[in-house]
Amino acid sequence: AAGSRGASGQEQGPEPGRPLEPSLLRFLVCPLSKRPLRYEESTNELINEELGIAYPIIDGIPNMIPEAARTTRKRPPAEGSERP
Amino acid sequence: YQVFENVAEKYDVMNDSMSLGIHRVWKDILVHKMNPSPGTLLVDVAGGTGDIAFRFLNYVRSVRERQLQQKLRHHQNLSWQEISKSYQEEKSNPLGDSQVVVCDINKEMLKAGKQKAQHLGYSEGLSWVLGNAEELPFDDDKFDVYTIAFGIRNVTRIDLALQEAYRVLKPGGRFLCLEFSHVSNPLLSRLYDLYSFQVIPVLGEVIAGDWKSYQYLVESIRRFPPQEELKAMIEDAGFLKVDYQNLNSGIVAIHSGFKL
Repeated sequence: AAGSRGASGQEQGPEPGRPLEPSLLRFLVCPLSKRPLRYEESTNELINEELGIAYPIIDGIPNMIPEAARTTRKRPPAEGSERP
Repeated sequence: YQVFENVAEKYDVMNDSMSLGIHRVWKDILVHKMNPSPGTLLVDVAGGTGDIAFRFLNYVRSVRERQLQQKLRHHQNLSWQEISKSYQEEKSNPLGDSQVVVCDINKEMLKAGKQKAQHLGYSEGLSWVLGNAEELPFDDDKFDVYTIAFGIRNVTRIDLALQEAYRVLKPGGRFLCLEFSHVSNPLLSRLYDLYSFQVIPVLGEVIAGDWKSYQYLVESIRRFPPQEELKAMIEDAGFLKVDYQNLNSGIVAIHSGFKL
């Protein structure tokens, strides 16, 4: 894909750890349970504690497709997960 | 899904070629019909490459500019302080707190949209979410307007998408759907069929190197419910004052409904 730099002068790193637009947290919920999510900065994920799943944020875009979420239940829901 | 992976890159070019640029007019009409005021919260579903989102942002920005200009004009005895405060207001909040969330199920389409946004200089009031129209990751009663432009025909369970649209709209919120529809005029219908089945897949092959995806697009258009049937489906989801407006004799239709 053409990766030209934008005219707005925004920073564009290709790092997957780019956090999402903060205003989005107002609207986003878990698509399955429609319950609120917790933003986990260390893994850049949106966590549904109740269901024990985490939605990844890639290039600043949250992936809210249930199939893409990973389960967090193998370990206590905290920081220091293996997968980024 | 695979269809849109293939078409994402060439999406805009193909739209221009297939519709001879008229799709731009259809989208302009949609946003004009929406007539959003500054402060509107829009969710644009299946809006991958951002066409509706950008038009929305342009529209509210110009409405806001006009508001501020009118304010200045009506207060002839403003001090310099008040005038400069007004200009500062415009600079610090040019969109008047309007926001659009673009939601699409396809990563490639969103990436293309995000890049386009950066190219064109859009940053404020715009966010991107990977999500399924049948299972939206948004809370209830959140948005003023829900749009889906040329996306609903690709949804497997249209009824679910409509239910979700209803759920995430605020009371008083508006549902707007821009989609290919049914041409009743028999002569025009034949010409349209000819064009669809003979020309479009060829264009698809020549421009995007992909005959099959564009054949799929043409077939999905034919399978899609006509105006009255879609209207009934929208009403089934709970929307009221449901209506539709044919564009180009029904090649395309805008359906509108309200959550009241």
